[in-house]
Amino acid sequence: MVPRRALSVIVAVRNNAPTLVRVLTAILSSNLPRDRYELIVVDDCSTDGSPELAARYADTIVRLTGRKSGAAYARNRGAEIAQTDVLAFVDADAMVQPDTLQRMLMMLSDRSSIDAVCAGHHEDCEPMNLVSQYRNLLLRFGERREHGTNGNVGSPCAAIRREAFLSAGMYDEWRFETTPVEGIEFGTRLSEAGREVFCSKDLQVTLLRRWSLRAFCVEVCHRSALVARSLGYQRARRAVPGDLVFTLSRPGAPVFAALCVAAFSAAFVPRLEVSLAIAVVILGAITLNLREYVYFAKVRGIAFAIAVTPLHFFMQAVSGLGLCAGWVLRDMFGDRAPDAATQAYAEVGVDTWPPVPRAPNIAVTAGR
Amino acid sequence: MSHFGSDESLNTDRPAQAHAFADAVVADRELPTELVQLGDLSLRAKRPRISRQTPRVSLIVVLPEHHVVSPDRLAERLRGHEDQEIDIVVACAGQPTNLGALQRSIGEAQFILAPAGTSVEDLRELAMRQVPGDIVTLLSGGLLQEAGATAEMSMSS
Repeated sequence: MVPRRALSVIVAVRNNAPTLVRVLTAILSSNLPRDRYELIVVDDCSTDGSPELAARYADTIVRLTGRKSGAAYARNRGAEIAQTDVLAFVDADAMVQPDTLQRMLMMLSDRSSIDAVCAGHHEDCEPMNLVSQYRNLLLRFGERREHGTNGNVGSPCAAIRREAFLSAGMYDEWRFETTPVEGIEFGTRLSEAGREVFCSKDLQVTLLRRWSLRAFCVEVCHRSALVARSLGYQRARRAVPGDLVFTLSRPGAPVFAALCVAAFSAAFVPRLEVSLAIAVVILGAITLNLREYVYFAKVRGIAFAIAVTPLHFFMQAVSGLGLCAGWVLRDMFGDRAPDAATQAYAEVGVDTWPPVPRAPNIAVTAGR
Repeated sequence: MSHFGSDESLNTDRPAQAHAFADAVVADRELPTELVQLGDLSLRAKRPRISRQTPRVSLIVVLPEHHVVSPDRLAERLRGHEDQEIDIVVACAGQPTNLGALQRSIGEAQFILAPAGTSVEDLRELAMRQVPGDIVTLLSGGLLQEAGATAEMSMSS
């Protein structure tokens, strides 16, 4: 008698060969018996031999051809061929702990009210450069603060009931073909559909990707702009409060207000030194971010907290700019849509492989 | 093309534009075959990028060294799907003692004979470079009993 598999682990990959082997090995090293899950790797047009490497470990490989389609699209293709009732999406640069998958499965099995379980980031990430460490702790801070029920399916490892995944309309491959906010968007939809998503700070994965300052700036700016443009800031924040964008932007408005007051005072009160005004603003900004700094100091020490202070201010400014850009773009051009060729393909309704991106079944309306 | 969803490109004569774009995309996908190399083994993986309505399915059966699989069992597992387009590759480490019987029972399969001592992981990687499928199911000889069920599921999807 062949034991029934309970979980489909889906890894979407695009040119992740350096980390993919470790990610897949970590999955295979799970406490979960090998015959209890299937491992599906969806290759999004890699050129570095990722599918061949994945074949060493996976049960099924899905090869997408043509052009890069994005994580949302690739995960959806994996979900379509999955054979179990629970789907676990693991990022191609996230190493699960030995008990992560088993505990996720147990939580879904024990608590029927929960539709999805998300793992958080381990406090230690592999790359030791300051930006990667800072990013990792920033994500971890948001997860700790918003531990419990919220819609943060943007986690690098999330297990979702297949029925909930399908009924919520799967990831939005229509609007977010090459962008990193499909998890936030899907979490927002799940949350609004009354589905319960549990984010556990005890379930953890370790990130392997090394982030440069430039890459992190681009990610924060892009992510913030998309939240403002396509998802709606308030709506997404209600559903996914632990996301990076909201951790960064939460103190943004008070800091900006303090800056305006100081500049106003400096202009009208000649005796007030400008430097004093700046000092007041910086002090205010530090106070508003005090919880983050205390957390950084606890985990990595005071020197680390001091070292990342300017970086944190800078990333908050980048996030603020991204949000503003998103609102402006939304007012000028409206929401995102796929390129004209994809729209044309979808309109014609041609059946082809890989399939033309589809919009989620559930209508999504973004508001501020 | 507009990546950010401006709708100026779709304002007029939408059906005609849509068909033109679709034709252009189909034509764009009809590219020549590609060459994939594995270390010092130069292997051609012919994956013609032609437009299809359904994914091409491949099945890789990995037979480690000294592993014997019953040809009847293997053929029986695959018999129910003769009407489907499926590429079967049997990757063996060394020459199986019953190779002739295997070839007779699943004549349409492609056999890869790797040197004796090749690990299961290397066999899988080697075979993966050979198969043209969009959806590739990998089965190890030891798991063949379970494999049949898995293959059925993948092929029917």
